[in-house]
Amino acid sequence: MDRTSIKKWFKAPDKMGHKYSLWAVYFCTGCGIIEVPPVITSRWDAERFGVIPVATPRQANLFLITGYVSLKTLKAIIRTYELMPDPKYTVGFGSCPINGGMYWDSYNTIKHLDKYIPIDGWISGCMPRPEAIFVAVTHLWTMIDKGMATGYIKYREKYRYYRQNQEKLFGKLEWPPLYPMEDKNG
Amino acid sequence: MDESLKKELETTFRNVLVSLPEDNRMVVAASEETVLSILSFLKNKGYDHLELISCVDWIEEKKFELVYILTSYSEKEMRKHIILKTKISREKSEFKTAISVFENAEPYERELHELFGINFKGHPRLTHLFLERDYKIPPFRKDFNTREYVKEVFDKIPFVEDKK
Repeated sequence: MDRTSIKKWFKAPDKMGHKYSLWAVYFCTGCGIIEVPPVITSRWDAERFGVIPVATPRQANLFLITGYVSLKTLKAIIRTYELMPDPKYTVGFGSCPINGGMYWDSYNTIKHLDKYIPIDGWISGCMPRPEAIFVAVTHLWTMIDKGMATGYIKYREKYRYYRQNQEKLFGKLEWPPLYPMEDKNG
Repeated sequence: MDESLKKELETTFRNVLVSLPEDNRMVVAASEETVLSILSFLKNKGYDHLELISCVDWIEEKKFELVYILTSYSEKEMRKHIILKTKISREKSEFKTAISVFENAEPYERELHELFGINFKGHPRLTHLFLERDYKIPPFRKDFNTREYVKEVFDKIPFVEDKK
């Protein structure tokens, strides 16, 4: 451990703990997932950064959305995201989750992922290189340090709007709301 | 591809156009009524595997063209493709199911029902296969305007940031 970071550990142990154990749920969507196996294995070795893939969303706090999102995938993404315990961080890969990318006029691919779940950061590129993933991870560290990676808090606060947007696409969702739907202010 | 099968097809069925564009490939253009009997005829000849059912939308002719592709697993000599094409009315968009001949036609016909809106009579469950939403015009038809659809559905969903 770096000597200078001892101060940080005493000051905010929770943030330091979250920072260095970003466990990514192994959720595959789109073409970007092909970048993930080299990232987590010996060539690039994501464990240097504390990123390891885990099998279930209950153990994870990092959600990498690795490519275009069709409607069916979006349903799975929402369920997976709601299963993950707080604090949770999401990163969108490449141009497709940002604005649809090359699927800009597709009938079955959603265009802006952040209308349906909160996204803490985006990686540009089609597809991003493994190095870009590590840049994103280190950037996420500074965001956690400064308290800027607050997507999960936003999801709780504005849950009714997110749920409304989700139900605009799917009709009635078959699982109950995660948070109360009423507005706090009345 | 051997010429004998071509001759046999032409003599057995009426209104059949058989051509041999390449080695290993035979294209059979048949009328609506004879398709199922040609399928079972070819199955008895040894072409026992239905690879694919596809569809082409000829919007100017007002026709859908169904394409059945057959091949053989059992005989090595017969690992060739037979492409059976037929045109059906676009407005009615109805056809008989081929499940009685090839059981694996079931998912293909569901797919065509979903993407082209073709109603296969006698199919046990024509439900959604891939899509999550209901579409007024099935999305693979030529008159489905994807740009309009995106504007109507996806672009109208507001950003959460805009809410207060």
